[in-house]
Amino acid sequence: MKFSLLSLALKNLKRKSFRTAVLITSIGLLVSILVFGTSFLLTISSSIKRSTDRLGADLLVVPVGARDFAEEVLLETKAKNFYMDKSIIEKVGKIEGIEKLTYQTYLTTIYGLCCDIPAVKVVAFNQETDFIIKPWLERAIGRKLGKGEVIIGAEAAENFELLDVDRSTLFGMKFNMAGVLEKTGTGLDNALFVSDENIGEIIERGKSGLRPDQISLIFTKVKKGLDPYAVGRSVEGEILEVDVIARSDMGKKIISTLKDINGIFLLTIVLACLLSTFLAWTIFSAIVNERLREVGIMRAIGAKGSHIVKMFIIEVFTIGLIGSLSGVMFGNYLSLTLSRVFGLLRDVAGTLTLMERVEVSLLGLAVGTGICIIGALSSIIRIKRLEPLMALKEG
Amino acid sequence: MAQIELLDVNKTYAVGNNVVKAVDGVTLEIEKGEFISIVGHSGSGKTTLLSIIGGILSPSTGRVVVDNTDIYALDEDRLSEYRALKIGCIFQFSSLLPVLTAKENLLLPTVFRPEKGNGFEKKAVEHLALVGLEDKIDAHPSQLSGGQQRRVAIARAFMNDPDIIIADEPTGDLDEETEAEVMELFKGINRQRGITFILVTHSSELAKDATRRLRMTRGRIQEL
Repeated sequence: MKFSLLSLALKNLKRKSFRTAVLITSIGLLVSILVFGTSFLLTISSSIKRSTDRLGADLLVVPVGARDFAEEVLLETKAKNFYMDKSIIEKVGKIEGIEKLTYQTYLTTIYGLCCDIPAVKVVAFNQETDFIIKPWLERAIGRKLGKGEVIIGAEAAENFELLDVDRSTLFGMKFNMAGVLEKTGTGLDNALFVSDENIGEIIERGKSGLRPDQISLIFTKVKKGLDPYAVGRSVEGEILEVDVIARSDMGKKIISTLKDINGIFLLTIVLACLLSTFLAWTIFSAIVNERLREVGIMRAIGAKGSHIVKMFIIEVFTIGLIGSLSGVMFGNYLSLTLSRVFGLLRDVAGTLTLMERVEVSLLGLAVGTGICIIGALSSIIRIKRLEPLMALKEG
Repeated sequence: MAQIELLDVNKTYAVGNNVVKAVDGVTLEIEKGEFISIVGHSGSGKTTLLSIIGGILSPSTGRVVVDNTDIYALDEDRLSEYRALKIGCIFQFSSLLPVLTAKENLLLPTVFRPEKGNGFEKKAVEHLALVGLEDKIDAHPSQLSGGQQRRVAIARAFMNDPDIIIADEPTGDLDEETEAEVMELFKGINRQRGITFILVTHSSELAKDATRRLRMTRGRIQEL
């Protein structure tokens, strides 16, 4: 390597390898906390957003008191059973402002009783009116599901493989697997989808508590230009047996909890950043002080202030970058491996998209490197301003 | 016109509540190619004066004109270029960077040149051979004796082909034989290349080798 300021800076870092390693580790730990924490919060909030965006319905009509159950089924990986009378479909359809509607019925498999694998929910949907599952179904098999056919969510497919169970038997009924849906990042990844034509037979076999005249949930689309909240109030006012959830209100409880966690995390990370900046400032002040004499010599033999700044910035930047890169890798590793340890993460479906992960990683890199540079800046500026002989004498 | 002109140069330091005059109204002209020695007791202001000429310490008052340029009227970057291109510095203490090898220490001033050039590696090796250290090219300062370190520093001072060499006790760590060799080298370069030498020394013997001798006493200068 040709001799240059870069090679000098790298040699300086090597000279105090232990101190360099301590600084890199400190920055790495800070960045890993930042990346892990941000990934944690982002996974939950974007999973909820993705789930509600992909529902494709403006209002959800559920049995009275079943709001939380419905959210758990649709936004999280939980399986819940809640039912209302099928006649409500007609009542909802008559409400002014409802453009179209479809309904689903939820059942729970017994496989969920084992291990850490969540109970798998079975979603029976009406293929004639459906506008929720249809787009994914078309992408997966390009046709309607036949009677006795099942299509399986991406996560449920993985769980079934882990359990090594007989895939073809559900509620005592023989089903053919028509395919596996692509990952949607919603609670429906942990579901099996069947046409509601099968409900009658499932009930006949007596393996579920469901009655023939029951459904779980109605999805509705509101006519263009109307306020979904106003239509929702009409539905609740006219049908006393139901609660209505507007799409924009979905996951509000989780988001509210998330805001508190976010605040605590933000405060912690700000304090950790301040601490790291202070640490970087202390260490770089010491580094600069012990190299005053060398800087004086360099200035005396022709180095400009900018040469000195460049040399120190290369050192600081290298430490910041290596520390941040290690932190980004470790933080992402933690976020991927520990995601199932935390209940909140275990319950929400989906993970970060590649772009979200890249954004979080870039944030980590910028914060880690920035802290090093900010921490070192005052010492570097001070030494740049010293006259060569003064630097030599002080050193 | 003289190569170096010092016009009523003063340098004062504040030491506690007192003001110390390190250089007191020095006016001096130095012609190109002169070999000057400055003698004087410790604290007489020799090093301060040398530093002012070398552009590494600004005077409190007065002007220093080198080749028709008032060097302390230059901005910080131009003054650094003056030090890089016009001046070769030899300090009285070990002035090598410990992380660099002997050759890299010689290459260091070339990094600060405003215009990059080629052939510096070869030149560094030649300069090390000139001071008898061709076998220590890749040695770090910690692997060199005090005298060897001093010789590397001397070789470094010539890397940018300066017009002026300022040397503060340049042979301080050297044995008599090497000291004589270094002085011969200086005189030879002075004669062949016309480089101006300004040497600060305690040694009357070394001072005698100069073509012009000056003495500093309490910040004031006088010809000998």
